[in-house]
Amino acid sequence: MSLPDSSPSYQPQSGRFGLTLASPWLVTLLLFWLFPLGYSLYLSFTDYHLLRQTTNWVGWENYTTLLSDPAFLAALKNTLLFTVITIPLTQIIAIGLALLVNRNFPGRSFFRSAFFIPSITSMVVVALVFTNLYSRGGYIISLAELVGFTPPENGFLLDSSTALYSIMAMDIWMASGYYMLLALAGLKAVPVELYEAATINGAGRVRQFFSITLPLLKPIILFSLVINGIKSLQVFVEIFVMTSGKYNTSTGVYYVYESGLKRFTFGEASAAAYILFLIIAVFSVIQFAAFRNRRALG
Amino acid sequence: MGLSAKYLALLLVALVMLGPLLWMLRVALLPQGASLSFESLGGGVFTMESFRGLFVNYGIWRSLFNSLLVGATVTAANVAFCFMVGYALSRKRFVGSKALFSLALITLMVPAHILIVPLYLILRQAGLFDTYLALILPFAVTPIGIFMVKQYLDGVPLSLEEAARVDGAGEMRLLWGVLAPVCRPILAVLAIQTFLVNWNSFLFPFILTSSSDLRTLPVALALMQGHQAIDWQSLMAGSTLAVAPVLIVFLIFQRRIVSGITAGAIKQ
Repeated sequence: MSLPDSSPSYQPQSGRFGLTLASPWLVTLLLFWLFPLGYSLYLSFTDYHLLRQTTNWVGWENYTTLLSDPAFLAALKNTLLFTVITIPLTQIIAIGLALLVNRNFPGRSFFRSAFFIPSITSMVVVALVFTNLYSRGGYIISLAELVGFTPPENGFLLDSSTALYSIMAMDIWMASGYYMLLALAGLKAVPVELYEAATINGAGRVRQFFSITLPLLKPIILFSLVINGIKSLQVFVEIFVMTSGKYNTSTGVYYVYESGLKRFTFGEASAAAYILFLIIAVFSVIQFAAFRNRRALG
Repeated sequence: MGLSAKYLALLLVALVMLGPLLWMLRVALLPQGASLSFESLGGGVFTMESFRGLFVNYGIWRSLFNSLLVGATVTAANVAFCFMVGYALSRKRFVGSKALFSLALITLMVPAHILIVPLYLILRQAGLFDTYLALILPFAVTPIGIFMVKQYLDGVPLSLEEAARVDGAGEMRLLWGVLAPVCRPILAVLAIQTFLVNWNSFLFPFILTSSSDLRTLPVALALMQGHQAIDWQSLMAGSTLAVAPVLIVFLIFQRRIVSGITAGAIKQ
């Protein structure tokens, strides 16, 4: 990782040298980010298709067609449903896990690692394992039957009424350890004296949680909600691996993939990607506004 | 809550969290053709034949090699470049340097899905589609890494550099001889994160290649499914191969991984 030393006489102007150092990033930023973004925006107003000779400017047509296309609207609905359901559940479970392993006790680091490990494994692997678990022969079906629940005939993933929710459950399982770690970092910053004072004043554990722990965790929780939201609105890999978008599990990004890389309707796919982008942007702005308000309130 | 009740709860949760991974390992070690069921799990036979089959029948070594090659190259490039760019943004004032830092923050917030179609088309037109370069170049300098290094360097006092300059150190010596060692903790965190993200990455390696010779491990695994009847033993053996390095890296670098994740959040 070392470059040849420059001669002592080499004293470039600080600014020019700075620009030279930044240039690898500037080049990749331009080629693989800025230009693609602009190109895609342009494409979203055309009818660009792999098999078509000419490409025409079609104005907002892709956008208006998409917004009245039941398949795209269903994908958007699934994406929003996915986000709205998984985010709060993941957050609640994450805080629960964090409280379980916050105080020191023998074996704490083992349990903390055990809870965290799913979140650093590959999504493809997790999706494959759960595809097996959700089908006949996997233990989730056996457990469901054990508690008296009748699973769908062909397993949880090959049924429109359960597929999306099964994928959500898997995502919550996978992500909660990660947000537990963030919550633990937040808990560490809570002064112990606060709890001592509360105990002296006769506040019980539950009361302490709601009036001390939760308010102090607010910044971390909001941060978690924002990053989890941006991630969930782009859910794709698990859909691709587990159901290929069938059984009412298509999502926004899955639609972009199908439209662009399977049907080669690049114009429409770009427009779909930008609509989703807009939704994510609105979501982020709302969250950031919430951030600012809380901070202003103290 | 009594002590034993607490441990019971902890063990139950740990079982839920680790159960799927233990199941993966158990299925990988079942004999080929054995039917899967809750009951078969405890049962006697353990065999490595599915792992052997992955190398003999599925040619998994090629995907393993691809994942290692791409992971190592991207990690080395990303650490070196982010260090350079982070240093430039932290210490140098040049035209647009402030704006560039804002741009780095903006790129962090733009969702990656927007690049699926244009990156595919651009790399096709550039003749880079389905090459190793397609798996490496777009990911060689990440804004998150630049951000991490810049934040870290902002907290490093200037006195060190001034002393080195007085001793006659040139810019290059200053960068690689003086500041790189100082930044080692953050560069280590960045290296681990970059490697793990790349090792697990599926979306872009999948859409930017088409030949089976260029598949990374996650891509190979995802596309292995649905050949004929699903060969769960082989799929779970392959999954085990994909997870094992992650677990090893985690066990060795646990503290750095945890600090890397939490540092970002605390700053908010």
